[in-house]
Amino acid sequence: MSALGELAALRKTKGAKDTLSPSERGDNKAAIFFLAPWFIGLGLITAGPLLASLYLSFTDYSLLEAPSWIGIENYVRMLDDPRLHNSLVVTFTYVFVSVPLQLAAALGLAMVLDRGLRGLAIYRSVYYLPSLLGGSVAIAILWRQIFGTNGLVNQVLGIFGIQGQGWVSHPDYALGTLMILNVWTFGAPMIIFLAGLRQIPEMYYEASSIDGAGRVRKFVSITLPLLTPIIFFNLVLQVIGAFQAFTQAFVVSGGGGGPADSTLFYTLYLYQNGFRSFDMGYASAMAWLLLVIIAALTAANFFFSKYWVFYND
Amino acid sequence: MSHHTRTQTPGRRRGMRMAALVAAAGLALTACSGDSGVPGASNDDGDEAPAAEGEATIRFAWWGSDTRHEVTQEILDNFMEEHPDITVVSDFTDWNGYWDKLATTVAAGDTPDVITQEERYLRDYASRNVLADLNEFSGTIDLSSIDDSIIEAGQTDGGQYGIPTGVNAYAILADEQIFADAGVEMPDDETWTWEDYVEIASEISANTEDGVFGAQDYGFNEPGFAIFARQRGENLYNEDGSLGFSADTLAEWWEISLQLRDQGGTPSASETIEVDAGGPEQSLVGTNSGAMAFFWTNQLEAVSNAAGRDITLLRHPGESQYERTGMYFKPAMFYSMSANSQYPEAAATLIDYLLNSEEAAELMLSDRGLPANTEVRAAVQDQFSEIDQQAADFLADLEDEIVDGLPVPPVGAGEVAEITRRINAEVLFDRLSPQEAAEQFINEVETATGQ
Repeated sequence: MSALGELAALRKTKGAKDTLSPSERGDNKAAIFFLAPWFIGLGLITAGPLLASLYLSFTDYSLLEAPSWIGIENYVRMLDDPRLHNSLVVTFTYVFVSVPLQLAAALGLAMVLDRGLRGLAIYRSVYYLPSLLGGSVAIAILWRQIFGTNGLVNQVLGIFGIQGQGWVSHPDYALGTLMILNVWTFGAPMIIFLAGLRQIPEMYYEASSIDGAGRVRKFVSITLPLLTPIIFFNLVLQVIGAFQAFTQAFVVSGGGGGPADSTLFYTLYLYQNGFRSFDMGYASAMAWLLLVIIAALTAANFFFSKYWVFYND
Repeated sequence: MSHHTRTQTPGRRRGMRMAALVAAAGLALTACSGDSGVPGASNDDGDEAPAAEGEATIRFAWWGSDTRHEVTQEILDNFMEEHPDITVVSDFTDWNGYWDKLATTVAAGDTPDVITQEERYLRDYASRNVLADLNEFSGTIDLSSIDDSIIEAGQTDGGQYGIPTGVNAYAILADEQIFADAGVEMPDDETWTWEDYVEIASEISANTEDGVFGAQDYGFNEPGFAIFARQRGENLYNEDGSLGFSADTLAEWWEISLQLRDQGGTPSASETIEVDAGGPEQSLVGTNSGAMAFFWTNQLEAVSNAAGRDITLLRHPGESQYERTGMYFKPAMFYSMSANSQYPEAAATLIDYLLNSEEAAELMLSDRGLPANTEVRAAVQDQFSEIDQQAADFLADLEDEIVDGLPVPPVGAGEVAEITRRINAEVLFDRLSPQEAAEQFINEVETATGQ
């Protein structure tokens, strides 16, 4: 993230060129030099395939034969594809339920850790770990075990005399277990929240204490407003990330999005079309619809941000 | 953060917005590019290195378990020793990843020279000109010891696009010890009916401890239904690829499955889903928690080893109940060749070796089905383990009862496995009635196969 901040700052200094000292000019050259691999990567690895997929989205492409142009047929087909509609419902449910919960968990823990605990670095690492592991295949397999019929969850329930059922294997609950998995990976937003909390000047709290404000009042009137840019940043990133969730559902459901399509994420259905059903043209069109959806949601996020995000400058 | 943020407060605002925007764009863009195919890319397996005069490097792709990988590597090492001018590069993965990977490598123009195929995908690849017509290599690939009916299974779209590695049958694996524990007699599998099957399974569940069931649900894959339909004189697919059964027949198949669930013969729906995801080793029979399950005969070994018990093969119920018998020999898999192989002769030599070499068969035994080459089969039969021998005897007994084979499934049949599994879950969780499920299945399969 800080690299992006640097980039923004770099742009800013660029505008004030005449005031640059020779050493700063040298810094700029170095920065461009170090950024070059990223730009080359953007062109070759991202932009090229991106344009290719735009073209493919207007073709009938089986992967095995050359693509043939069919115009907007793939896009028209989407209107009448019940599995696609179902995958949108599944994905939106996942995003709108799990992201707010995840951010709440991240903020809550960041506030606890911000109290200046002894061994903070260790706690920070421990809570950050799930973020690194959460997208992995191993954790997804573990999840299948934990929420299985004879898994940990049911064993614990068994102690209380409750007979649980297979959670990942029941269409009413399978998506819920994946949401829990996403909430559990709160580490990355937590670290960012922690950094944000550190930047709130202590004097505000001292002043409010003198005025007799309690904890809740301090949280609502000082912490939250000053943290809104960070919340916004996390929200944008996590929403985009959640839309792209794939590994967990792929592994937990064995690639099928089951049981009964209950965990058929949009990305998973896209993958099935592209690599299983020999329908890469349709999959490409789906990818572009996903891009449009994410772009629209992100734009909405930015639009509404002016009503609730408070920049302290 | 860096000193910029601390010293320039206005910069912080811009910095944060900018960062969010750039990150958003970056993430959204890669979302799409990550999932799109890039034609023209080539993965470097070393097979494109310029070959010296007369030397050939070919790639052989297969799926399977670790045991199969080790054995196949040994076979390939022997082959390369015998043919020093041919180098074979191994390209293997498990079943689930195999088809995704194969489609991608074909798209990338990097098709393996020798490809292991399966009946559900054979037409997909053959009709799209990915596979070579092996008739053109009849001088190299000797088919004289392979039964014509087996060879025919690889013929589609006017060519021989695959040669069966061996044969299999879809059968019931039964744990006699659980039958004994439950005090239930083993059925006479030549005469038992579907009603018997439901009754026996339910009785075993009732007479054994909790967690032990009479049978594992059978509705998750379509070969079982193909047999059910054939018993009634119908067919899953006709020769022309259209569907050859009525919705009522399919609905009946799922109704029996629900009867089993409701009478306790099979586990609850969610347990069934879990067991099904675990494969042969985690199956009810494999974990000593079920008396009967449907599997392919070449999976007998894996299930027996997991169970640690003697497992018996039984015919499907209903084989003498209706118009005819439904069971059939299925080509376990096929050897196919890329139509664009740089070294077709070398690839053909490898296929011939895999099919006809006794040395190869001694290592492979029945792992790719009971060897299709009858001479080789006879030569290596005495080396079969007891389990392999049981499967071989079972298949030999079936020989006279089996009426005919199945036509090569239509293009798109690879999707049907997933459709079956999904709709079966809908049925087991009572989200669709058997009749609704049957109609939806017919709709979806017709769409998938372009009928």
